[in-house]
Amino acid sequence: MNKNKNTDRYERMKKTSSVHMAMEIKKTLKETIEDFPNNPEGMDYFYKLVSIFTEEKKINTNGKKVIATTCVQVPTELILAADAHPFRMCSGAYSTDQIGSEYLPAKTCPLVKSTLGMMHLDFYQVDKKPLAVINPTTCDQKRKLGEISRDLVDVPHYPLELPPTKDTEEARIYWQKVVKRFTKYIEQITGNKITRQKLKNSIRKVSRAQQEYRKFYTLRKGKPVIWGKDSILITNTYFYDDIERWTLSMKKLNKELERKVKNKEYITNARSPRILLTGSPSIFPNLKIPLLIESLGGVIVAEEFCSTSRMLYDTVAVDEWFMYDMVPALADRYLKPCTCPNFTPNKDRERRLLEMIKDFSIDGVIYQTFAGCQLYDMESRNISKLFEKNGTQMLLIETDYSPEDHGQISTRLEAFIESLKTRTHI
Amino acid sequence: MNKIKTYIDNANVSRFRFWVQLVTFILFVYGGYWGISISQNLPIFACPYDHATGGTCYLISLQHQLHITWANLFSWRGVAILTSFGTFLIFFLVLNKAWCGFVCPVGTLQDWITKLRKSLGIRFSRYEDSTFKYLKVIKYIFLLWLLIVPLAIANSFFGLPQMSHDWFPPFCTICPTRVIMPLFTGDVSQLIIDFSSTPSLIMTTLGVLAAGLFLTGSFVKKRFFCLFCPMSALQYLFSKIAFLRLNKDGNKCTKCGNCYRVCDVGIKEIADDITSKNIVKDDCMLCLKCVEACPEDRCLEVTFLKFPIISATEEGFFKRYGTDNKELKDE
Ligand code: SF4
Ligand code: SF4
Ligand code: SF4
Repeated sequence: MNKNKNTDRYERMKKTSSVHMAMEIKKTLKETIEDFPNNPEGMDYFYKLVSIFTEEKKINTNGKKVIATTCVQVPTELILAADAHPFRMCSGAYSTDQIGSEYLPAKTCPLVKSTLGMMHLDFYQVDKKPLAVINPTTCDQKRKLGEISRDLVDVPHYPLELPPTKDTEEARIYWQKVVKRFTKYIEQITGNKITRQKLKNSIRKVSRAQQEYRKFYTLRKGKPVIWGKDSILITNTYFYDDIERWTLSMKKLNKELERKVKNKEYITNARSPRILLTGSPSIFPNLKIPLLIESLGGVIVAEEFCSTSRMLYDTVAVDEWFMYDMVPALADRYLKPCTCPNFTPNKDRERRLLEMIKDFSIDGVIYQTFAGCQLYDMESRNISKLFEKNGTQMLLIETDYSPEDHGQISTRLEAFIESLKTRTHI
Repeated sequence: MNKIKTYIDNANVSRFRFWVQLVTFILFVYGGYWGISISQNLPIFACPYDHATGGTCYLISLQHQLHITWANLFSWRGVAILTSFGTFLIFFLVLNKAWCGFVCPVGTLQDWITKLRKSLGIRFSRYEDSTFKYLKVIKYIFLLWLLIVPLAIANSFFGLPQMSHDWFPPFCTICPTRVIMPLFTGDVSQLIIDFSSTPSLIMTTLGVLAAGLFLTGSFVKKRFFCLFCPMSALQYLFSKIAFLRLNKDGNKCTKCGNCYRVCDVGIKEIADDITSKNIVKDDCMLCLKCVEACPEDRCLEVTFLKFPIISATEEGFFKRYGTDNKELKDE
């Protein structure tokens, strides 16, 4: 089948994009690493992991079969249990955003465009082409992505039917059935049976990763020992890294950070405004907003993003360790606590944000929406009203993956951070 | 002090509960052999049809006391009803519904049947939400039945003829506990169906059927019988003022549903209700499995007279559902 791929034009596109992407990644890495002093040693692992992309190298998957996902709601435990390597495709690259733009309406969210561009150009972050792309039916654009990609991507697309609401028992049962069917699908495409023991092992692996992540998360409730840009990068590498390797590196980093807390080696003077970043997710190499915030004197101590806490925070509890209870338990874990704005109602996100503001002693919230990302944009209305009542300062920023709005956003951020500074000093 | 609290918060409550249940089971099923008789007014199904019981279920005492004419109700016998009730209440208030989760031998028996099913790897079933709503009501109907019938046997209501004494005791005769518990001391006499009169025939037949239903039901559904238990209904009327409490801080709840997943009786509010502080519902047995499964620090917390006994913690969660879980040990 011709997937618009066997043309000279396609080959040229591929070549220029890969050059652009390498440049883009190099630039982000430079700003992330060199422009900040005292990055923890434990970050080296994570920096190195993403810097291989500049040399057109890929993440080593140890000969495993690979399955791509596009949202946080995919129970990765099931993929791991089938001896496959899950990786999340969502892309933050501007270079592939431009490719995706060719095939999607102008007002599409850059994340969707960039992800489509990645898939179209076969730019997978891992060393193998995935067996399938698992695409939860979250926002409208992701939902339609699968159909549009039919002629552009030669990897099968599996829509994972996420219900649009999560509070009712009907939605819960429906989703449990969807996940059960998904289990069969994974077995079928990998050719590996998901046994009880294997699933227990993979639940344990994810739980260990979560345990380390939560330790890290809790550390940041105190005075800052790590920048937010690093935190975002760390959770980003969870998208594609081998989970056990990732957990180990996280453990090392946590040890180092604990030491820093004890020795009072803070990353910035303790009076920098503490920022909570939320909204459309910052995904590497699009670290534009976090880098700007922190170079302007703020410090991001928490993120409420589907690329960060929403992905790793919530845990699974199983009562009877058999397939009949483990699979529904996994389904629950990916539905019930999720605060994705595609759910209606989504009161849980409001509650989560309020709780985070308290727990992390937040001075101000920065809410990022991507041009074209309607759900986050719409939800920002209620959230800003909520914050008004609650007396929390919030700045809403609409942006995309292009570097063009840099100057204008910088000015607004600077003003916001300065105003927070004067407040905290009173 | 803090160390002790952390130790408790990290503890495997379910294992502790297993041992407590074992001891109390022996106490209330065989205690009589050692001359133990704790009280006639216990808030659990310690069944006196088992001649070796170490105490007595309050419901049988209550039925006997209510078998009373209106005139006597206001005599010294009325006072006896009150003191008996007072004893029941004091017992109950101390442990609240933890009587069900930790002490009641019938509850324990159901938990053992569940263990048996689990060891066979057979899946459990759950009620649909809508069915659950209706079934919940049955225990209150049983409670009314056992309160009213004794009075209707002793008195005439609205000029109607008095009920036959063969309906007495109206709950015990249909209670599966009467049939099953004596079996533990080798007494099979309660399996007999009494043909002497129509009410006796109906009641003893129902009793034997209930026993069969009890055994099969609790094999497929965790704590199958407790959902219909009139003791649970009576207890709940006073649960709000009990000393032992299960509290929830809704702000801390992420609605992850872990607690609901592990709850043997399927209490949905434990996860979804984020406004009530006192979260003990009528079917709750204070088994504390939810506290074990909640990963949010102090989101669920058990207190005794406001003094915190055990709280949900992230650390405890990861111990129980991660590192310390024997199901999850390295192979
Ligand atoms: S509800 Fe269950 S545990 Fe409680 S008294 Fe009744 S039978 Fe016993
Ligand atoms: S709500 Fe909690 S304490 Fe009550 S029965 Fe359920 S798991 Fe046990
Ligand atoms: S386990 Fe805890 S956080 Fe999760 S729903 Fe229950 S009470 Fe809420």
